[in-house]
Amino acid sequence: MKGAATAQAQEWRLALPLALFFALFFVAPLLLLIWISFQADRQMTGSLGLAQYAAFLADRLNLQVLIDTLLLGAKATLLCLIGGYPLAWLYTRVSARLQALLIFLIILPIITSVVVRTFAWIVILGRRGMVNEAIMALGLSSQPLHLLFSETGIVIVLTQVQMPLMVLPLITALQRIDPNLTSASLALGAGAWRTFFKITLPLSLPGVIAGIILAYTACVSAFVTQSLIGGSRLLYMPMLIFQQAMDLQNWPFAAAASMLFTISVLLIVGLLVALSRSRAARLYG
Amino acid sequence: MSYNFTRRGLLAGTAAAAGMALIPQRGFAADELVAATFGGTWANVQKQVLAPYFTKRSGATVVQSPMLATEQIAKLTAAKGGQVPFDVAMLDEGPALEAIDAGLIAPYDAAKSPNFVILHPQFKGEYGPAITMQAIGIAYNPKTVKTPPMSWADLWKPEYKGRVGITSLASTLGLAFLLDINRLEGGNEASMDKAFAKLKTLLPNLAAVSANFGAHGALFQQGEIDIGVQNFNFAEELKAKGVPIEFVRVSTGTPAWKTTMHVVKGALKPDLAYAYIDSQLAPEVQSAMQKSPWNVIPTSSKVPYEGLVASKIAKDPADLDKMVFFDWKKVNQGRAAWTQQFNREIRL
Repeated sequence: MKGAATAQAQEWRLALPLALFFALFFVAPLLLLIWISFQADRQMTGSLGLAQYAAFLADRLNLQVLIDTLLLGAKATLLCLIGGYPLAWLYTRVSARLQALLIFLIILPIITSVVVRTFAWIVILGRRGMVNEAIMALGLSSQPLHLLFSETGIVIVLTQVQMPLMVLPLITALQRIDPNLTSASLALGAGAWRTFFKITLPLSLPGVIAGIILAYTACVSAFVTQSLIGGSRLLYMPMLIFQQAMDLQNWPFAAAASMLFTISVLLIVGLLVALSRSRAARLYG
Repeated sequence: MSYNFTRRGLLAGTAAAAGMALIPQRGFAADELVAATFGGTWANVQKQVLAPYFTKRSGATVVQSPMLATEQIAKLTAAKGGQVPFDVAMLDEGPALEAIDAGLIAPYDAAKSPNFVILHPQFKGEYGPAITMQAIGIAYNPKTVKTPPMSWADLWKPEYKGRVGITSLASTLGLAFLLDINRLEGGNEASMDKAFAKLKTLLPNLAAVSANFGAHGALFQQGEIDIGVQNFNFAEELKAKGVPIEFVRVSTGTPAWKTTMHVVKGALKPDLAYAYIDSQLAPEVQSAMQKSPWNVIPTSSKVPYEGLVASKIAKDPADLDKMVFFDWKKVNQGRAAWTQQFNREIRL
């Protein structure tokens, strides 16, 4: 038995290759990024300081862009949740054959290329696109609606594109719920809605929060969708960083902007994780 | 058959697989050149005309990687002190000056390039030859725009409310348009305030401000915009494909700039790089590229202007000198501030 115990104690070593990989290709570049963000001038002559951070925070436009980006993510994530929850719930209620079909439909957005997908949306949302043709044919509006190059358009596309990231964790969470609990609630006289809000929803919260975190981080950083559907008159953090890094070759400023963006998103994710912990503690603790 | 997995064997195999991925792919093919090109028309024409000519001449193959000029500079800067990611750069005038200042490209040795001497004098650069001129004007949809536009001022006409398209300053097209508006408003490269004031009055007419040149082209095809700024070559290529589009030069003078090719400093295969650039200067290549649908303006004195280039742009090189040019050195100094100003002014 002693040998098994030693083997178990050494199991952590299985994670070493991946840890090494992460250290080399994720942690090291991240440290480099942090280092560059403290460079005081564009030519990176080596003098360090907080000049780039000060420059970013001093301009109200930059702050507005940061806030817009965080809000854009919130809007799209909320729509993902509203649309995704019933879908995930449906998945747990249908036959295995239908489940296979549903899961294929759910992951379809992930398996098409992001560029192809975005250009397809340009065709759908355009002035002469399917949506506007339908609206005008039905007489709902005499003028084509402005869907492309608007935040509404970006939110619609992000919702479709990031939906799987919301639905998959939700399915896992909903499947883990013991069906007897709902039956018991119904048998004890609670209505369907009360059962949902008192039993199903609280028990699925870990999945909801996992889905929100995944969908949110993907939405705020969706460079291709934001710039192609939004155009240049809508500016979000990924484009702002790209402009500074690629168009203007101002790497220190781009690095500082990236750091502030990362920190903001991490704060929101941290808040959500803390929320789920306290929830879980109350439910299971 | 039995597989015998041992820990050591598995580890070695994994390490080998990981190691393979790390070896730069270009290390394998001895006679392969990596060259940058632009997206769109350029990627097509260089693939169809230049690549086969180069292969026939040198026996080597070429990988043409479409990249924006600014992207090329970013990649070369990142590779400084190490192995360069490509040997031939292709740049517009502004970025070319930046690359020279940053020491990213090598002086061009004319002795290694027999076709260099037959270029028109204004196209012989110390750091590399100009392979064409890019000229811009107004493109419009003749089905929806009945009276052909004459000048930039037509973009401001009330009847084009919500139908005009321009690009951001990330593309030279957008930048040259703004510079020309500035010039016509009486400004110069020292300050763009006059252009921005004028641009603000264009906002009601704008249907789209594309983030880049590629996205801009697609808007004409989809009927998203009916009129807007456009490159001569690109508009004519779309027209040849059957898209309802017409290109006109503006009456106030055609803004234009040179597009150049360079051997990258520290190039892995400098001889192939010279052969490639020299192929682009060859009269056969340039006259093939001047044909429709490409309509690339030639820079070699051995290629007379023909077709659409002659009828729409220039009868001879002297006509090119009458175009509108900008001081790209000053433009480079102002670009960062203007980009921020552009973000601010046109924001919804």
